Amino acid sequence: MLTKFCSTVCAAIGLSLTVFFLSGCLFQNPDGGERVGIGYNKGYAPEQPIAFSHELHVGTHKIQCQYCHNQVERSKSSNIPSLATCMNCHQQVAGKPGQETVPGHKDSDEIKKLRDAFSDGKSIEWVRVHMLPDHVSFNHQAHVGKGVSCQTCHGEIEKMAKVFQHSDLSMGWCVNCHRQPENKAPLNCTTCHQ
Amino acid sequence: MSNTENKIQSDNENRKIERDSTYWRSFEELNNTPEFQKSLQTEFMSSPLREESKDEGSETDGVARRDFLKLMGASIALTSAAGCIRRPVQKIVPYNKQPEEVTVGVSNWYTSSYFDGQEGLGLLVKSREGRPVHISGNPKFPLNGNGASVKAQASLLGLYEPNRLQKPFRNLFNEKRTNKETVGVSWEELDTKVVESLQKGGVAILSGNISSPSTKAVIGDFKAGFNADHYVWEPLADDVVEAQASSYGEAVMPGFRYDKAQMIVSIDADFLGTWGPTMTNNKRFADGRRNIDKMSRLVSFDSTYSLTGANADIRFRIKPSQQFDVVMGLISEIVGKVSVSDAVKTAVAPYNGIADKLGISAEAFKKVAADLVKNQGESIVVAGGIQTKTKDSMALQVAVNYLNSILGNDGKTVVAGAGNKNLTASFAQIKNLIAKMNAGDVKTLIIYRSNPFYSLSADLGFAEALKKVPTVVYSNDKMDETAVNAHYVATDNHALETWGDSEFATGVYGIHQPLIRTMYDTRSFQLSLMTWAYMAKVGPKRIQEFETYYDYVRNLWKTEMAAKVAGGKDFESFWNGFLQEGFVGELATTGSARTFKGDVSSLKKSQSSDATFELALYPTVNIGDGTLANIGWLQELPDVVTKIVWDNYACVSIKTAEANKLREGDVIELTVGGNKLSLPTHIQPGLHDQVVAVAVGYGRTHAGDVAKGIGQNAFTLAQGGLYAGLPVEFKKTGQKIELVTTQGHDSMEGRQIVVTATNKDIQKSKDANIHRHHTWNIWSGHQYNGHKWGMAIDLNTCTGCSACMTACQSENNTAVVGKKYVMQGREMHWIRIDRYYTGDVENASAVFQPLMCQHCDNAPCETVCPVVATVHSSEGLNEQIYNRCVGTRYCSNNCPYKVRRFNWFNYAKLIEKPMHMALNPEVLVRARGVMEKCTFCVQRIKEGKNKAKIEERPLKDGDIKTACEAACPTQTIVFGDLNDENSRVAKVFKAEPRAYELLEEWYAKPSVRYQTKIKNNDQVTPKKGGGHA
Repeated sequence: MLTKFCSTVCAAIGLSLTVFFLSGCLFQNPDGGERVGIGYNKGYAPEQPIAFSHELHVGTHKIQCQYCHNQVERSKSSNIPSLATCMNCHQQVAGKPGQETVPGHKDSDEIKKLRDAFSDGKSIEWVRVHMLPDHVSFNHQAHVGKGVSCQTCHGEIEKMAKVFQHSDLSMGWCVNCHRQPENKAPLNCTTCHQ
Repeated sequence: MSNTENKIQSDNENRKIERDSTYWRSFEELNNTPEFQKSLQTEFMSSPLREESKDEGSETDGVARRDFLKLMGASIALTSAAGCIRRPVQKIVPYNKQPEEVTVGVSNWYTSSYFDGQEGLGLLVKSREGRPVHISGNPKFPLNGNGASVKAQASLLGLYEPNRLQKPFRNLFNEKRTNKETVGVSWEELDTKVVESLQKGGVAILSGNISSPSTKAVIGDFKAGFNADHYVWEPLADDVVEAQASSYGEAVMPGFRYDKAQMIVSIDADFLGTWGPTMTNNKRFADGRRNIDKMSRLVSFDSTYSLTGANADIRFRIKPSQQFDVVMGLISEIVGKVSVSDAVKTAVAPYNGIADKLGISAEAFKKVAADLVKNQGESIVVAGGIQTKTKDSMALQVAVNYLNSILGNDGKTVVAGAGNKNLTASFAQIKNLIAKMNAGDVKTLIIYRSNPFYSLSADLGFAEALKKVPTVVYSNDKMDETAVNAHYVATDNHALETWGDSEFATGVYGIHQPLIRTMYDTRSFQLSLMTWAYMAKVGPKRIQEFETYYDYVRNLWKTEMAAKVAGGKDFESFWNGFLQEGFVGELATTGSARTFKGDVSSLKKSQSSDATFELALYPTVNIGDGTLANIGWLQELPDVVTKIVWDNYACVSIKTAEANKLREGDVIELTVGGNKLSLPTHIQPGLHDQVVAVAVGYGRTHAGDVAKGIGQNAFTLAQGGLYAGLPVEFKKTGQKIELVTTQGHDSMEGRQIVVTATNKDIQKSKDANIHRHHTWNIWSGHQYNGHKWGMAIDLNTCTGCSACMTACQSENNTAVVGKKYVMQGREMHWIRIDRYYTGDVENASAVFQPLMCQHCDNAPCETVCPVVATVHSSEGLNEQIYNRCVGTRYCSNNCPYKVRRFNWFNYAKLIEKPMHMALNPEVLVRARGVMEKCTFCVQRIKEGKNKAKIEERPLKDGDIKTACEAACPTQTIVFGDLNDENSRVAKVFKAEPRAYELLEEWYAKPSVRYQTKIKNNDQVTPKKGGGHA
């Protein structure tokens, strides 16, 4: 009798926990609105090994996106520039002493990290910001080729001292654009899932 | 039983589908046995637990259970998904200095070549971010063109095999010279010790065939330096080249122009499957049959059921001892019709009317001879392969050469000038070497990629002789059967890590580019020889002066080879062009007839035909001599004819099986001379009643984890280099091994699936034997405004070579599941090749049909998916969306073509590192519980469309090639846009009378159409009732 009671209690607790847990997931995942569902990572802005500022490079110095991300027109993947590309300028530019473009990070220290890695033949392990699930493929080439600007998806990158994920990169977000007749974008599943 | 029950039962029987037994795939299907019925009913009911309890712990399934574990990985732990989705942190690590040629996400293709000891192929290898991921044929290459053999494609996995050696080794031996311990050694130590030994003299090199001019030059220099001897031996060597030397004075494997021949007679030469340059042969053979009004005829005298026999218009089953009789019989039949000397007349007189003795219809035999006479200069007679290695092998070859000469084929269809002079391997050479070793004349033996401990029969005494050699150095990339018996293993690179060149036909040179820097601390054989010569300071200057083998190759081309083929270009531009095209030189298309110097009148038969049963050993298309036995793709690829996977077996005929009460899988013990071998029985239609046929290449003990315990080593049954015609006895052991065939799966229940017609039928009507159905539509249909993809498959040129299957596996990351799961019908191949037997059960002929997702317009799968995971695209593709699939498997149940595959396990997680590097990054690996199937290589479609868009041009027909199409040597598979009316595929759909849809009456409207297979046998297909052909 006691056993039966115990098992009933356990089952009840288990069930309510499950319900609680699931509802938690649901509450965090409303359809639409500014609140972002689990797994979408909008606003994600991880610490990077070098406090690289797009605001400085793109905003202030007006360096074209494709100076660094030079393969974006030719490949589905947009490349992170090789260290050699950075060194094109930073061979000369060492950062003014004491200057902190990103507060808390001395420019000269950050640039030294780059220079050291380059001369050691090593690389920088950047933390990936924009990440789609494995079953989704996105083609930069196709979008850039059609004249979609980088900012459409990546936001005002020229104002980002630290890059964060601007769009939620959800399927609904993709499809919303693809559905617009003027975009003439394909809506087949295998366009993105293959 | 009550009346009601009775009624229900009889109703059920009445309702049974009417079966057409013209084509069948297994005996169970042909006889419609209760087992077959049951298997049909439970086809989709398999659960992971079924069979499990039966197998667990039983002795016989040791192999099966192990397969899965070892196959693809270290652990079978099927991880459960983590509770909530959390973002994993990924790192992006850019290049320090980006290599110029690398664009992340874009593949590069490099020309290279492949040589398996017998067949040479020009290749294009796909590289992504510096690692090779796919191998296909170089379409421009004058020999194989598109085609890449299954072995060449699968050799890619060899690069990433976990069992590959990663550094040099040294074996320590005990007094009896058996391996005590294997220890790692540094290259410096190995080199010092080897050079010390080399300097003592008595140096010999044993290798397989060498087709690379540079390797030959290195060996030549090395020989000069150390006064060494070079012996060339291949386990699959036959006597063709030697007989050419004795008949015509030049040792060459001639180029056979199957495309120019109207009449081809093969005496156990499996030129489409395992003998000679098979891909080139396939291509040429298909070219000779593409025009159905003037197609060639292939007659095969077959002692095993070879792929060539399966493609023959007329196939005679013989036993090996009759091969010589057949050729002499043919000569005797044509005496009087072509001029022959009196001596020959007398010599062949006893063979007159031999057909009766051979158990062949005399009329049919005469017809073969008459066809040969009729097509003088346009016919080919071939014999070859280990299936012809009887005591009379040489005599057979000489007789064949004579026949070709008197028919005027030599120089026209048998072109020596387009042949391969590098296939010099012979058993005489290894016997020579063994004699030298026994005499103590060999102090150092260097073995390069040759594995006599596995593939040489024990009676030749290689193992004993080797014990008399003080230093044995082995250069290969595996610790194989021979390696463990060598003092030093100078670990060789994988072929994809080595520079080189090739000469697969006289005057046609190929480049062999590496695709990746050496992954481990290994060194190419050539560089090893160069290093040793450098250290000992012997040999010509060039072997000592270069630091890398690449420099040596380039220098050789600069100083010697370029003069022959560069045509006056400066070396740099010649070299760059060479690398880009993959080859230089031209293939001779014709030659002049050579004088036959042999003596046919003195040819005597020494092989007795008295034995009750004769042994016929044969290599299979996928495993060959067993070198690549450790590659899962090859083991899981169904045998081209039997469709059995993961095993070798003893094939016997139906009558023999009945007489000896053998059932499929019954283990029999074969006795050949003193050697015994126990193998499961396979009952093979179309086999001679006195033949026991066994595949070699299995039973590897030291190939690696995949090959271990798979089959038995049939090389042990050979005697002194003879593989066929040996008397064999067998007895039942009472054990049973389940042979696993894919051919019982996916039954199409006797509907119009394959259509064959004969040349006579086709003369009457081009769409002979196709039953067109009246169909009507309940669907509104789809609109295809842009592209509409479709595929046309010509069964008439499909030879069943299976290259498409491996290409698909490599392109689409389909999993290898192992024997046990194939047994349960869980193989994952997206494209399969169905083999149907037809005709007389005892002497069945075969038809092949490649089958993949048909991408139906009214797809039955789409309507039943509860979660809309399989949907129709605007371009006519039937798309499977893995992330939406919940695994109900309704679609698979409802697919009339049975092409859908379900992921029962998380196969991708089981892939052992670094094998995952062979995965195609363009294609998602599927998770557990997800359905998958052919996508028409949608990633290639997208790539092709994108490319056209960037180049701002419309998509051309042929821009997009699916992986199967790209690998097909015979251009059987054609893919394209049906909305482009000039595309090849649209033309077939619109105008080809031989084209038909599978299951047209269901109105699924597949996007794949097949074309009738034509047997050029002068028969007329009898009319049948019921409408179905």
